[in-house]
Amino acid sequence: MSVAVETLGGGRPGALTRLIRFARHHVLTVYALLAFAYLLVPIAIVVLFSFNDPKSRFNYVWEGFTLDNWRHWDAYPGLTDAMKISLEVAAISSAVATALGTLIALALVRYGFRGRGATNLFIFLPMSTPEIVLGASLLALFLNLQFATGFLTIVIAHIMFNVSYVVVTVKARLVGFDRHLEEAAMDLGANEWTTFRKVTLPLIAPGILAAALLAFALSVDDFVITFFNSGSTTTFPIFVWTAAARGAPPQVNVMGTMIFVVALSLMAVNILLQRRREGRTP
Amino acid sequence: MAFLHRHRWLTPYLLLAPGLAWLAVFFAIPLGFLAYQSLQEGTFEFGYSFGWAWGNYWDAIDLYHKQLVRSFVYAGLATVIALVVSYPLVYWIAFRGGRWKNLFLLAIVAPFFVTYLIRTLAWQTILADHGVVLDVMRTIGLVGDDFRFLQTSTAVVAGITYNFFPFMALPLYVSLEQIDHRLIEAAQDLYASRLQAFLRVTLPLSLPGIFAGTLLTFIPAAGDFINAQLLGSPDQRMIGNVIQSKFLELIDYPAAAALSFVLTAAILAAVAVYARALGTEKLTG
Amino acid sequence: MTDTFTRRELVERAALGGVVLSLPGILAACGGSEESSGGGGEKKLAKTLDVSNWQLYIDYDEKTKKYPSLEEFRRKTGVKVDYVEDITDNAIEFGKIQRPLSQGNSIGRDIIVLTDNTRFPGLLISKGWAEKLDKDAIPNIDNLQDALAHPGFDKNREYSLPWQSYLTGIATNTKLTGGKPVTSMEALLEDPKYKGKVTLLTEMADTIALVMQANGDDPTKVDDASFDKAIKRIKKAKDSGQIRQFTGNEYTGPLAKGDLACCLSWSGDVVQLTVSNKDLVWNLPDSGGDIATDNMLIPTGGDVFTASTFMNFVYDPKIAAQISVGCSYISPVKGIKDEAAKIDPKSVENPLIFPDEETLSNVVIFDAEAARNQDYIEKWQALLA
Repeated sequence: MSVAVETLGGGRPGALTRLIRFARHHVLTVYALLAFAYLLVPIAIVVLFSFNDPKSRFNYVWEGFTLDNWRHWDAYPGLTDAMKISLEVAAISSAVATALGTLIALALVRYGFRGRGATNLFIFLPMSTPEIVLGASLLALFLNLQFATGFLTIVIAHIMFNVSYVVVTVKARLVGFDRHLEEAAMDLGANEWTTFRKVTLPLIAPGILAAALLAFALSVDDFVITFFNSGSTTTFPIFVWTAAARGAPPQVNVMGTMIFVVALSLMAVNILLQRRREGRTP
Repeated sequence: MAFLHRHRWLTPYLLLAPGLAWLAVFFAIPLGFLAYQSLQEGTFEFGYSFGWAWGNYWDAIDLYHKQLVRSFVYAGLATVIALVVSYPLVYWIAFRGGRWKNLFLLAIVAPFFVTYLIRTLAWQTILADHGVVLDVMRTIGLVGDDFRFLQTSTAVVAGITYNFFPFMALPLYVSLEQIDHRLIEAAQDLYASRLQAFLRVTLPLSLPGIFAGTLLTFIPAAGDFINAQLLGSPDQRMIGNVIQSKFLELIDYPAAAALSFVLTAAILAAVAVYARALGTEKLTG
Repeated sequence: MTDTFTRRELVERAALGGVVLSLPGILAACGGSEESSGGGGEKKLAKTLDVSNWQLYIDYDEKTKKYPSLEEFRRKTGVKVDYVEDITDNAIEFGKIQRPLSQGNSIGRDIIVLTDNTRFPGLLISKGWAEKLDKDAIPNIDNLQDALAHPGFDKNREYSLPWQSYLTGIATNTKLTGGKPVTSMEALLEDPKYKGKVTLLTEMADTIALVMQANGDDPTKVDDASFDKAIKRIKKAKDSGQIRQFTGNEYTGPLAKGDLACCLSWSGDVVQLTVSNKDLVWNLPDSGGDIATDNMLIPTGGDVFTASTFMNFVYDPKIAAQISVGCSYISPVKGIKDEAAKIDPKSVENPLIFPDEETLSNVVIFDAEAARNQDYIEKWQALLA
């Protein structure tokens, strides 16, 4: 419509039209900025309050800037230990879950086999079961088997709930995958394994990576299922939960910020490396 | 390798085996134990015994249907809001993000790297009765002196929306990003306006993403209890809070187990209806 | 004092020879789950003692961010106390620990603290999840106040020893109430000025006792009628939006932040909270409050000897006074007034630490039978849901 106005009027379009066009073109960008702000403001608060200097045990009101919390980030040994355990659990469980899940996704998307629909449904079930049910039922299992709850049970639980998410993420990537590329490779003489290695895998790698990162994030973050199956092992979220009730020290914010920065940097580096490998991203 | 080549039919099963086995042992079987527990009767002090106590299920619905409905309402609201808020954002990244697409995506996922609980506590600080937000609103005269955000439904729904945002945004992005831009160009070549191209081409193609996103958001949100606990009052208690308290405080395993299954069944029913409405290939595709 | 005790113990052991040493071992073998000191061996102090307790329940130095009495324990015995304030509510705590305990596993704690007006100390003992105290290591047990020596759930103090006693009353943020403390339960539950700025405790005994007294009923003899009446009154307040939340010990946060005008609270907490918020005051309700005692217990797998040594340490009048004055709660140890006066002469007049006749006549102990009544517990849980 604005095109018609332009050609009819002849010459340069009026300032108002230009403004409207500018706004319409950028309204989405403005929106995106606002949305990013919404997402990141709470994080900013977390980071900000890690520099807070509360007189009391409660870290709710801004009272003054200090670097002490960062200098003495390990002042609470319980907190540091909990963090370590969370990271270990996340590393192990995301690796295993990604492996298991990717295999399943490959099978589901590329092969027709008996029981495919049922398998799809089965994979979907853990995601449609509330965490609280997953946690409680696992606990029922461990209790009945007289299996002590602790680090190992946490890892087991995390692998369990992560598998489905990995499958869904990788599948979404696989479904849009162009098989012709593989066919072309095979026409050119590559066998199945080589095709997989050199054509398929690199192309679905972003999807697998995304799944692995999702699994890692879900694991570090998990509270409910872990809460039911941790025994006396304390992961970072569990520490925060119990600490929140009695006044979480600023070091909790310090830890939160540290994870955030590390994870963010890792992912950023990974993305930048990927771009360099691929050249211009399509 | 040659073995696999000859017995090609085995391949999918081999691929599936490890993952499915894991899920069978650590997902399916525990549910069996839980089901067994739900049919028990007794108390913690004097012990439980199996008694085909179907009454537990009836009691669960009878006593807690209010919380159940409330959970679905909160989760539904949060899902819709998350969809509406994230769609334009994700669209912008997928279509206008250019070279920095992945970095923007990172920005969406980034909050996820701060623990769920800490994020929710941050909202406690932001929405605090005497925090910056409410002070400003009171000064402007937007709200009265007695107004508060915390311990209200608004705070709880806002918390749920925020916490599950990446679950909506990521699947949406994956499906939007895969849309071939040439299809949109083609539509525009055929005289479709920008809006028409969006409605007729982009939106339908992004349906798998919408489907996945809404499910990944709604389902865990319905069973959540943390937002209600930290940001809500007794009037906002969700079914998750009830289950948690029955498991951990009252130690009433049969009732808690029955309640858990009622919740799961309700969610599955809702999802089935939803999937039917959208078309079942999305579910199994 | 602990030094002389340990020396005495050593002398005793040397005198009686190896027979005494192996006796615990034989008893352990016959008696089942008693994991006193690893059967038959010498009693050794562990390197660390893991203690779980409620918030604001011990002396605390704001400047050094340390616990003076625990530091002193370390100096005397070399044992480092890993002190965690992670107990907010009896039911939640019990629910957390009964899972591993029911499997026969330790919970990673040597001492936990549960309240005697709930069913939980008794439950822990009856389920066999509490270790017997090593009374040989606690000669100071004689300092225990007579009134607390034979509680119903542990008649001979074999498994438990009181930590502190507390009163339940009303905490007020005078900034939000026009400078006046809230003294009546009626105002707390029904005054629309405080709508949405009130919290009650999740502890059934404490909350019900205070509401029943406001109703004119007697919480020491609870019956269905009076219980239901209290429940009804609370439900009305909850439904009208008067009550913002039911909390355990975590009311301290919102109270300090200024979200609450008034709330039910435990006596000593407010004193330590005034560091965060100078406008906080505490008082008993006009209609009366309740009194209860928190008890130290050793869960299965806890180090009995080290825990018992610690208990003995805190029952020393000097240390007992230090703790009690430090957290403003009532000590279970008798004869500590002189020591308390040395630390802070004003503390002797403080009814929160040394309740006078008037205060004591204004508080009751909740009916123990009612605290265990399954029916009441379910009604209470339904109210919180």
